[in-house]
Amino acid sequence: MNRRMDPTLVSLAAALPVLLVLGYALPDWLTFYLQVSLASGLAALAVMLQMRAGLVNFGQGLYYCLGAYAGGMSGHFLGITDALVLLLLAVVLSVAVSFIVGFLVARYREIFYAMLSLALSMILYGLLVRAEALGSTDGFNLPSTTFLGYAPEGQALREAGYVFTCIVALAIAAAVHRYLRSPLGAIGEAVRENELRVEYLGASPRYVVHLIYVMAAAIAGIGGVLAGISVGHVDPNLAYWTTSGQFVFIALLSGTGNVAAPLIGAFLLVMIRVYAVEYSPYTWQMILGGVMLLIIMFLPGGLWSLTRLRKKGGLT
Amino acid sequence: MLSLRDVTASIARTTILNGVSLDVAGGQTAGLVGRNGAGKTTLMRAIMGLLAISRGEIRLDDHELTRMPPHQRAGIAVGYMPEDRRLVPNFTVKENILLPLWATGRGPDQNRLDWVFELMPEIAGSAERKAVTLSGGQQKLVALGRALICGKRLLLLDEPFEGVAPALARRLAEVIADLQSEGVTVVLSESDYTHSVGLLNRLFVIERGVVEERDLTVA
Repeated sequence: MNRRMDPTLVSLAAALPVLLVLGYALPDWLTFYLQVSLASGLAALAVMLQMRAGLVNFGQGLYYCLGAYAGGMSGHFLGITDALVLLLLAVVLSVAVSFIVGFLVARYREIFYAMLSLALSMILYGLLVRAEALGSTDGFNLPSTTFLGYAPEGQALREAGYVFTCIVALAIAAAVHRYLRSPLGAIGEAVRENELRVEYLGASPRYVVHLIYVMAAAIAGIGGVLAGISVGHVDPNLAYWTTSGQFVFIALLSGTGNVAAPLIGAFLLVMIRVYAVEYSPYTWQMILGGVMLLIIMFLPGGLWSLTRLRKKGGLT
Repeated sequence: MLSLRDVTASIARTTILNGVSLDVAGGQTAGLVGRNGAGKTTLMRAIMGLLAISRGEIRLDDHELTRMPPHQRAGIAVGYMPEDRRLVPNFTVKENILLPLWATGRGPDQNRLDWVFELMPEIAGSAERKAVTLSGGQQKLVALGRALICGKRLLLLDEPFEGVAPALARRLAEVIADLQSEGVTVVLSESDYTHSVGLLNRLFVIERGVVEERDLTVA
């Protein structure tokens, strides 16, 4: 067994103090975007996990929204405000729903998988829009979050939320990395290459896809509850198809080469959008489209593939 | 013992296997010989459960394979090497060989892996190389190694000598001959039995989906 330190895990561990320092050094607006990016980055990580198995999920917003609403409703209606409990509830709900829905989804591949997942997220969107008790299209605000009995307010609350988001996002990324490096993760990659082969080598591709779907749902659910804590508000747009499309966009922009890629990609997307809106308020979508076009044409492996080019000496 | 009784299978309403019956005892090496399109690969796929049969029964010792899902076969020590190798290109040689153990949820079997590498030292030296960097012949050996890692009871080799250099074909034949001392039942398909004639205990000829056993002494 290779006992050498895993560079990705080392980098993720090193990223935590860097992010914490940045949290204090950067202006509040940028720290906020960083925090929201880590939350949406987790949903993009969930999309990436499926892409590694050859599956594109155009409805990851379903679990992002479920996670956010699980946290929001627990706080709003049950008075549960502890961040760890909210996280746990979001995971339980996401896993329960995805486990049941997974029996259907895991039967399909390619465009059918993508469209079925999209349809399911739009069903949730439709239900939430009609639910007046949940604020319909406006959604509702979350009560202030507490952290293991610590109940900060104002700036301290924002800082605690930021620290909590950083720790959870990096821990999840590390866990996903360990999974991808495990034999089970290797089977996922084998499914992408050739399902039939996986079948005669001893695993059921449908079980593998089902498992990946449930894991991705749990990760997106965690991303959702972190988004709720960050913004302090949830609404049905979290399940809308454009939100899911954004996660696919991030996964494509950043590439599937490393678990850190979607987290970085999510922040890059936010920054591109912020400056595109700033400098070109009426045509900012065109700028985003142009960026996507350039990535597809010149970096089909996403921005992370630049690191491989650099290792090969392709870039200096 | 591998036992097939009246196995019939069709693809797109065309009958490919027509009432195939054969028995191969434990530890025997059986050749399935026939020209292209005779039904060799179809029979292999039917035994592996990758093609549903419309009639008949397939058994391996006390296991009823007919309705067993394909992925459960590796769990009862059945190894399969398809004609086109199908390695995972980005995995190393070692990872490709270990894949069946990972897929069946079993832990790494170092003894078995060592045995595979001992049997084929050519691939032991390339254990950490990516499969995509290997030659076609080397990939064939890795595919055989992958089938061997779990195929302790039954090994199905579809055209193992097809498209490989004569020297490598002889090497493959040596490896398969060594398996007889391990008690593994081997079924290998071929267009002709040039490379395997010395290995076989049983010879089955397949023509238009019908299988007949031939006397090896006459063949």
